[in-house]
Amino acid sequence: MAVKSLRFEIVVWSSAYLAAFAVTFGILVPLQNLAFPEFPSQASLLFLPQGVRVLAAWLLGWRAVPALLPAIFISYCYLAGWDVFSLTCYTCIAIATFTAPTVFWITTNTICDLRPNASASVGWPCVMLAGTVASAVSGFLLNLTLNSAPQDYIAYFIGDVSGLFFLMMILMLFFRWQRKRHPQPGE
Amino acid sequence: MNDISKLAELRKLLLGMERSLGLEDLSSVERDIYYAASELSKTTPSVRTTVLLNHALMQDVSRPTFFRALKSLVGKGYMSQSATSRRGVYIVHAPQK
Repeated sequence: MAVKSLRFEIVVWSSAYLAAFAVTFGILVPLQNLAFPEFPSQASLLFLPQGVRVLAAWLLGWRAVPALLPAIFISYCYLAGWDVFSLTCYTCIAIATFTAPTVFWITTNTICDLRPNASASVGWPCVMLAGTVASAVSGFLLNLTLNSAPQDYIAYFIGDVSGLFFLMMILMLFFRWQRKRHPQPGE
Repeated sequence: MNDISKLAELRKLLLGMERSLGLEDLSSVERDIYYAASELSKTTPSVRTTVLLNHALMQDVSRPTFFRALKSLVGKGYMSQSATSRRGVYIVHAPQK
């Protein structure tokens, strides 16, 4: 049962991650390059996969690591080609995979319980805030690993935070549309 | 937590976001019930459905519509059934942020 559930999580969350990655690099980055051709960084200013990472970390906890690892590896294969089998890429994959669950785990065990459950409702600003911290940490570590230029640190942070916010907005509008399509009694 | 409850938690989180951004809309009947209940709860901590049904805003609302909308308001967290009183008594909550 646990293996079946994990397999289901891997399929769902990795598919979501790859879909967000495809939208980011297939649509948003080309649009960004058209709109801001002089922008010095190659980083996406709207990196939707970070939203998937944060929401997976919030909902699944440490299970987000196996759930997203295949998709994060595939995305790095696309970005780095054969260099994906290098120490730098392995480090980047580890940072991208582990940062958000670690931040949520530390926050839950030290500041406030962010775990989703039926009895206590966690507000979206708390998840957004933890996601922002995760974005800052992962962006810093990734750029340190890649020895990036200073502007990349800022670009990664902006891209990750806006990616999280806009992914939540997209999901919110989707659920809203779905609710209006199938209204409950009294609506 | 199973997969369905994870989805429910995600929906709950995003419903909170919708409310914070002022995008959640109540139906006209829900809005009238909420206004009436808010007004009545200024004098008493809880509101009885019988009193609520007699409110001026409820005059054109049929009983089935009223109870459907009331159930929906409870589902959305705007009102809840009083834990200490018997059935038909509700507590009004501020919209969740």
